[in-house]
Amino acid sequence: MTAVLLALRLGRWGIVGFSLAGFVFNFVNAVAFFQIAGHTPQERAALGATMSALAAQLVVLLPPPIRPDTVAGYVQFRGFNSLAILFAVWALASATGFARADEEKGLVESELATGTSRVALVGSRVLAFAIGLAVAAAMAGMAFVLGVASGNESFERGRVVEAAANLVALGLACYGISLLVSQLTAARFATAAAGAVLLALFFLNSLSRVFSWLSTWRWLSPFRYYDLSQPLPQGGQLDVRAFLVLLGIALVASSAAAFAFWRRDLGGALVRVPMRAGPPRYEPSTSPWWRYPVLRGVYERRLGVLAWSAGVAALAVLFVSLTRTIVNVLLNIPALLPYLSIFVHQQLYPAVLGYTWLNVAQLLFAGLAITHVARWSAEDSDGRLEMALSAPYSRAAVVVERMAVLVAVALVVAAVSGLTLYYASHANGIDLSVPRLTAASLMLVPFALVFAGAGALLASWNPRATVGLLGAFAFASYLDTELGPVFKLPLWLQDLSAFKLFGTPLVTGVEWRSVTLMLLLAAAGVGSSILLMQRRDVGR
Amino acid sequence: MLALRVAPPAIRTDRLSKDYGVGRGLFELDLQVTGQEVFGYLGPNGSGKTTTIRLLMGMIRPTGGTAHVFGLDCVRDSVQVKRKVGYLPGDVPQYGSLTGDEVIAYLGGMRGGVDRRRVHRLAERFDLDLSRRFREYSSGNKQKLAIVVAFMHRPDLLILDEPTSGLDPLNQQEFYALLRETRDDGATVFLSSHILSEVEHVCDRVGIIRDGRLVRVAELDDLRHIRVHRVEIEFAPGTPIPEREIRAAEGVEEMKAEGDRITCTVRGSFDPLLHALRDATVTDLVSTEPSLEDVFLSYFSEPRRRLLTS
Repeated sequence: MTAVLLALRLGRWGIVGFSLAGFVFNFVNAVAFFQIAGHTPQERAALGATMSALAAQLVVLLPPPIRPDTVAGYVQFRGFNSLAILFAVWALASATGFARADEEKGLVESELATGTSRVALVGSRVLAFAIGLAVAAAMAGMAFVLGVASGNESFERGRVVEAAANLVALGLACYGISLLVSQLTAARFATAAAGAVLLALFFLNSLSRVFSWLSTWRWLSPFRYYDLSQPLPQGGQLDVRAFLVLLGIALVASSAAAFAFWRRDLGGALVRVPMRAGPPRYEPSTSPWWRYPVLRGVYERRLGVLAWSAGVAALAVLFVSLTRTIVNVLLNIPALLPYLSIFVHQQLYPAVLGYTWLNVAQLLFAGLAITHVARWSAEDSDGRLEMALSAPYSRAAVVVERMAVLVAVALVVAAVSGLTLYYASHANGIDLSVPRLTAASLMLVPFALVFAGAGALLASWNPRATVGLLGAFAFASYLDTELGPVFKLPLWLQDLSAFKLFGTPLVTGVEWRSVTLMLLLAAAGVGSSILLMQRRDVGR
Repeated sequence: MLALRVAPPAIRTDRLSKDYGVGRGLFELDLQVTGQEVFGYLGPNGSGKTTTIRLLMGMIRPTGGTAHVFGLDCVRDSVQVKRKVGYLPGDVPQYGSLTGDEVIAYLGGMRGGVDRRRVHRLAERFDLDLSRRFREYSSGNKQKLAIVVAFMHRPDLLILDEPTSGLDPLNQQEFYALLRETRDDGATVFLSSHILSEVEHVCDRVGIIRDGRLVRVAELDDLRHIRVHRVEIEFAPGTPIPEREIRAAEGVEEMKAEGDRITCTVRGSFDPLLHALRDATVTDLVSTEPSLEDVFLSYFSEPRRRLLTS
C-alpha cells in the first residue's frame, strides 16, 4: 500500500496534468460542437460531411468517425480518440520513468531495500498508474457530460463510462508494453526503444486503414482493439472482446515486465551485449567539435538529431504516399466537390499535403522544442548548469547558446524534411513549388523557436515545473488555433498561437507578418529568460 | 617614489550573507584567504559551507555583503572570476551517457581548450579510465572525474566542496598529495569538509562555521585542542586498573569505569594517557573519532566557546 501511495505521489503531476488535459479537451470539443453544428438536421448533416472529409485527411492518426453529426460522435472522434494518443504518450513516459529514470536516481534501489519484492514493486506502479488513468478518464467523461449539458442535449450515462473504460484499458496496455520493452534494453535506450515500439504499433494499426496488406498484422496492435470500440455515439458500441484483449495485453506485458525485472540486474538490461575490455584510456576526446560553441551542443545530441531526421523523413515519405489516397477519398464526397473544384486545376495536392503533413510536422517540431527545453530544465537539477556556469561563461551566453543549438538542430531536421518531401512528392508525380516548399520547411524553425522561447522563460523561472507548463502552453496554443475561430476569440489572442501563425505556406506562401510575430514572441521569451536567469539562484 | 602594489587576497568576504529565512543560510561572513594557502572550511552538515562556496562562485546572489576573488566582485565580475577558479561542486553533476573523455573535452572546450598532457597525468594518477560512460562510473570514479575537471586548467584558486567524499583511502592520500603540489606551484585552495582529521591533514588554516556563522578561524594548534577521541580500554581480568592516573592524565575527560573497562575522551595528544597506562595490562584499546557534530556540541558549548575566543 505504501508503495502504491509513493508511486501516486511521484506521478501526481502527471495525473493532475493529464486529467486537466482530458477535461479541457473533451469539454471544449463538446461545447464547440454546439457552436458550429447549428440546430437543423441539414446543418448537422453538413457538419457531419465536413468531419468525414477531415477524417479522410487524418486517417493515419484517427479512426473514421461514427455519426460525427451528433455531439457524441463528434467528441468520440475529436475528443476521446485524440486522448487515446495522448494517454499512450503518458503511459510511455510514466513506464520508462519508473523502469529507468527512477532506477538511475536510486529510488528503485531504496524501495527494494525496504523489503518490497520486485514483483510487488512493479505491481504497485501498475496499480498506481491504473488509478491515475481512471481519474483522468473519469475527468474526460465528466467533461463530456458537462459539455452536453451546456447544449441541453441528452446522453446515455453507460456509454460515457464505456468510453472512459476503453481509454483506461488502452493506457494500461501501452504502459505494460513500455514497461516490458524498457526492461530489455540499456537504460539510455529504454525510452527511445519503448517509444519506437509503441509508434510502430500505432502506425501498424492506422496505416492498415489505407494499406490493405498491413491489415493481416494489425491484430498485433493494441490501438486496433481500442478502435474496435467506439461506444459514445449511437451506432457504436463497446466491443467487450476487444476490451478484454486490451486488459489481457496489459496483464501479460506487465507480468512479463515483472519477470524480466526480477531476472535482470538493477541498472542493467535483460539482454546484455558483451563488451570487450580494453586498456584504460586517460586522454580527453580528440573530436574537434567540443571546442566550438553551438557545434558542441549539436554534436552532443548527434544521435538524437539523426533519429529525429530519420523519423521526420520517414513520416514525410508516408504522408506523400497517402496524399493521392486522401485526395481520392475527398473527391468521392459529393458535398465537397463544389469546394474542391476550385482547387482541382490549381493546388489540391499541395493543399492536402500542406494540411496533413505540415500539421504533423508542426506537432513534431513543437515536440522537438519541448525535448530540448526538458533537457534545459534537467540540467538545472542534475548539476550540469552549475558546472557550465563554473566555466568563464555568462548566464546570458548559456541561454543564447541553448537557443542557437536548437536553431541548428531544427534547421538540420527541417532541411531533411524539406528535401525528403521534395523527392518523395516528385517520385509520386506531385509537383510542389520549390520556393514555397523551402519557405514552408524553414518556417518550422521560427515555429519551434516560439516554443523554445516560452520554454527558456519557464526554465529560467521554475525549472522543475517547466515541462508540464510548456506542455500546457503547447496544448493551449493548439486549442487556440482549433477553437479560436469557433469561439470567436479576439484576433490578437489567436495570433499568440504558433499553430495559427504558421499558416499555410505550401499553398499561400510565407506571411512575413506571421514570421515577424513568431520571431518577436521567441525573442521576448529569450530576453525575459536572460533577465530572469541573471537574477536567480542556481544549484540544487 | 615607487608605490608598491599589494596583491589582493585570493578570497575576501565582507559581511557576506544569504538569508533563506527561518534562520537558515549564511550570516555576515568576514573571511580572508591569502594566496598560496590551503584553507579548510569546516562545519557540520547544513552549517552553510556549500552556501558560501556557491556565493563565491556566483551561483547564488547574496542578500547582503560582498565577496571578492583576487579583487574581482563575485557577482559583477563572475565571468572573470571563473577564469581563475577550478571548481568541484558538492554533488557531482550527472552526465548520463557521455564518456569521461567527452565530459573533459566538453568542459575544457568551454574554457577554450584542454591541456591534454595535464589531463593525461591527472587521469593516470587517479587511475581513471576516461573511455567509460559517466553513468557506468562508481561514485568514487565520478568524484575522480570531478577532481580532474577542477584541476585540469591549472587554476589560480581551487574551490572544492567536500572533495574527498566517495574516494577510497589510497585515492584520498593521492588527492592530498595533489593539493600540496598545487599549493607549492603557487595556487590557493579553499576546501570544505566535515571531517576534522582531513582538514588537519592538509590545511594551513581552518575556518569553522556553525549555523551559518563563522565561529572562528583557527590555526593548526587550535585544531589539536578541538580534536577529540573516544577511547575504550579493556584490562586483563583481575589486574589493577590505574583509574586515578588515567583521570589525572592531561587531556582525559569524561572518564567512566565499569568492571575491567574504562571509557573516556582524549583531547589533544595521547602521550599522557599512554603514560598513565604504562604499568597496566591492557587487552584492548579502541580509539574512535566522533562526528564533527559531536565535537561541536561538546566543544562549542558556551564556556568552551569563550575559552577559544579569548
